[in-house]
Amino acid sequence: MKRLLAASLMLLLAFALAAPPPSRAQGVDVYINITSGGTKKLNIAIPEFTVTTGADPAATGKLLASIAGADLTFSGLFSVVAATGAIPADNAAALKQSWTDFAAAGAHAGVHGLLALRGSRIDGEMRLYDLTSPEFRLIASKKFEVPPDQSRRLAHKIADEIVLQFTGEPGIADTKIAYVAGPRGAKEILLADYDGFGVRPVTRNGSINLMPVWGPDARSLAYTSYKNGYPDLFRAFPFERRPEQTLAAFVGINSSPAFSPDGKTLAMTLSKDGNPEIYALTLATGTLRRLTRHAGIDTEPSWSPTGQQIAFISDRAGSPHVFVMDADGVSVRQLTNGGHHTQPRWSPRGDVIVFTARQGTHDLWAIGADGSNPRRLTAGPGDNQGAAWAPNGRHLVFQSNRLGAFQLYAMLADGSSEVIAVTRGSTEATSPSWSPRLP
Amino acid sequence: MFTRGRIGSVVALLVLVVVMVGCAKRPATIAASAPAPTGAAGATGSPASPSAPASSTPMQPSTSTPATATPTVSPSGGARPVPRDFTAIADLKDVFFDFDKYDIRPTDAKMLDANAAWLKSHENMLVLVEGHCDERGTNEYNLALGERRAKATMNYLVAQGVQANRITIISYGEERPVCTEHTEACWAKNRRAHFLIKPR
Repeated sequence: MKRLLAASLMLLLAFALAAPPPSRAQGVDVYINITSGGTKKLNIAIPEFTVTTGADPAATGKLLASIAGADLTFSGLFSVVAATGAIPADNAAALKQSWTDFAAAGAHAGVHGLLALRGSRIDGEMRLYDLTSPEFRLIASKKFEVPPDQSRRLAHKIADEIVLQFTGEPGIADTKIAYVAGPRGAKEILLADYDGFGVRPVTRNGSINLMPVWGPDARSLAYTSYKNGYPDLFRAFPFERRPEQTLAAFVGINSSPAFSPDGKTLAMTLSKDGNPEIYALTLATGTLRRLTRHAGIDTEPSWSPTGQQIAFISDRAGSPHVFVMDADGVSVRQLTNGGHHTQPRWSPRGDVIVFTARQGTHDLWAIGADGSNPRRLTAGPGDNQGAAWAPNGRHLVFQSNRLGAFQLYAMLADGSSEVIAVTRGSTEATSPSWSPRLP
Repeated sequence: MFTRGRIGSVVALLVLVVVMVGCAKRPATIAASAPAPTGAAGATGSPASPSAPASSTPMQPSTSTPATATPTVSPSGGARPVPRDFTAIADLKDVFFDFDKYDIRPTDAKMLDANAAWLKSHENMLVLVEGHCDERGTNEYNLALGERRAKATMNYLVAQGVQANRITIISYGEERPVCTEHTEACWAKNRRAHFLIKPR
């Protein structure tokens, strides 16, 4: 078993070196290459977290272990080895026995979570052990602190740290998803943890609110609202007591906001000059630049992660298709042909653009940013559309009516994983936007 | 700290309102006729998409100042009439659109001729033209499609002699259907331009 793992780790490491991990990986051993498909999963044991201080009537130790386990399963990189019972605190012999049992059950790594439940905060510590080493070597440990009402976030942070330790890039469990909920004619913007828990309102104006998108600092959301009668663009700050800003309220539509990766520019669709065209608003100065100039519909800008190109939708060739232009509006080229294509979303890794294709129903497709290798990601059931990338460029959240009303679902971006329900609300959930990693 | 942050936000908001919001005046001129109904199929037609391409008019000359010009300073939305002040009237009939299209169909042109005649004989009335889509398609694209439907309708009315400054358009995309069943009969009712009026 051990020899097998060692061989596979070496192989994976070779892959990882071929595709260098991001700069945050410095000082971290990279065991799992996260860009190539068909990754062999690491078996990881997560026994219930040990409560070292305070009473735990709500079984927080058990809950957080299960949340972290779900996060790691969702990452697509780990297979969680089931466990019951917490390891006693400060008991080296019990810890060793526990890891011996887990290793015998096939676990490659073990997570020991320790919690101090205080009235004013929760202190958590994550200790990560290599169960393939003879002495169960401690790979890493890290402490976290959260307010008592954010205990789930502590589990997400622990999971993200574990992903960081094994891949060189933090996980995406400590993120939020903003989306639109409600019946037609009365849609509000909500946000939730990436796993659908902790739903809270962003707008409460009783109007129609659409198309939320996160700013790259994960502090603000741009969205379209009819609250002043017309579809105007606003910016809300959901984590601050700060009034929302009006971004654009021109005659006609003010829609499809998209922040540039550096957060300084907002691309958007305005029809003030006669028909829907894409503009770039420099947020600091209010300078507005028109990027497209065509008689047809130009809409849905999506920035490349370098900020140097913008994908968008135009019907200039007949039906709507995906186009790409330089960020100053020149060098327009058509990326997709045939069919009816909308909702281009450029991967944060830069290599792929996901879009929605309509052939009776809607399904998600991906195409190389250079126009290569168009491929289908979903094949029903129902409509699957409105994809948004997780900040790691590995997962997508999208809306599907596979079970009736539209709800949000998530999956690995190559379509290789099972599709997981994110929302299970009583009203429709649509138009997701996945936040960057929270600060 | 909190108070100071708040004051800063308010100042920032005021600056934003002054700098960014504006251009509430409509474009000085508009295209004089509805878009041509058809365009060349082009090399990108696909068997998967048998429907004819949407209208493809020549490059439209810019009808207003360049976008880089400083936006007109005005209160937020001040010059735009309030949509809820308008009411529907039986004399003005809806016109309907083909799937994924925004050109005026010949049969609906007759309807629009009648609407134009009514508007010309009621000079004291302002009209709000709403553009709507069916539920198929994606929100963002449908918002643009609804805008084009309202605009094509407006252009037709103007070509018939209705003053452009009496007409306001708004797109609701797929957000305000009149029919909520998932059938073609229902979708056809939702792909519409709807008219509401209010006295000047």
